[in-house]
Amino acid sequence: MNKKIVIVLIPVILLACNFLFPPKPTQTPESIVAPPTKPTSQPSDDQILTKTGFTVVRLHPEDDDLQTMLATEAQKAAALGQMPVVEFDATWCPPCRAIEAALNSENELMLKAYEGTYIIKLDVDEWEWDDGRVQNFVFDFIPVYFKLDAEGKQTGKVIDGGAWGEDIPKNIAPVMDEFFHGG
Amino acid sequence: MKTKIFLTLIIAIVSASCARSTISDDRVSLFLTSFIKNDVKVSIRLDGNANEEYVLSATFTPPDGYHLYSKDIPLTGVDGLGRPTLLELTSESQMKTLGGLMENVKAQKPDFEPKDLLIYPVGAVTLSLPIELPPGNEWVDDAVKVTYMLCSNNSCKEPVIGKIVPVRIPGEGVFAGQ
Repeated sequence: MNKKIVIVLIPVILLACNFLFPPKPTQTPESIVAPPTKPTSQPSDDQILTKTGFTVVRLHPEDDDLQTMLATEAQKAAALGQMPVVEFDATWCPPCRAIEAALNSENELMLKAYEGTYIIKLDVDEWEWDDGRVQNFVFDFIPVYFKLDAEGKQTGKVIDGGAWGEDIPKNIAPVMDEFFHGG
Repeated sequence: MKTKIFLTLIIAIVSASCARSTISDDRVSLFLTSFIKNDVKVSIRLDGNANEEYVLSATFTPPDGYHLYSKDIPLTGVDGLGRPTLLELTSESQMKTLGGLMENVKAQKPDFEPKDLLIYPVGAVTLSLPIELPPGNEWVDDAVKVTYMLCSNNSCKEPVIGKIVPVRIPGEGVFAGQ
């Protein structure tokens, strides 16, 4: 008889316990992620460099259609006997700045690596990098380099900063040299 | 003898059950939401204590080998470089800020120039913001803002600036009534 009473009492006591001390909520309903916003940094000023053996130009979207401008720049590169390469960068990107500084300081390793190239710079903020894409260029990180053919179209050869270690000329130069001049 | 065993069993079960409900009486910890954007996982939660002091926190988890920038660098970066890691309330939020943003790891000077561009060590960073919950006994729809930028030693992802993240938060009475 005692057992039956005890068996009946257990659930009653448990219910009472939960009623007196209700468990706390641990999770809210599923939340929705808002649409992404665009960064606000401004593109850098125009920059056209003609160093010993290589050229750097910067294109802006207000000037013309990208593919038209790339075709034009590829022709200019051909006239100089240089290889057209698109580089995506941004004003907020420290590794991009480090590469630019190495070139501006005329680091010998870097100058040798860049020899014979025609670098066409595109600022990702100007060109609206969205979901890893700027028009038909697809990439996840900057800086990133795309080789172009004589018509200004992508050859399919791409390299980004992940190809080297710390952002110093002795790491960057051999990798870029191989990318620009290797097979 | 059997009766004693049953009574012991009852006491054990009741004690365990009640302990489960009361063990966190002095502390509240709520997961609010999480998302992944530009390879960084962001988890947002709300913690509180018996004194009705609440802290909103966001844990930013970058991939291996990548870092985030200090909460204390300017919104436009140092010399234009980098972007801060931030957790903020929106201007329409029903929550109120009670103090400054806190970090669980100390930012460090980088190996490169500019040295003022403070970066967090590689790995996750949690930022915490003391807040006051809105009055009332209901859960309410609200939002927070997060900002961050992911880089390694040699590459970066696009910054995430002031991303609005909807969250559902409890009124202060939701906890007070328990």
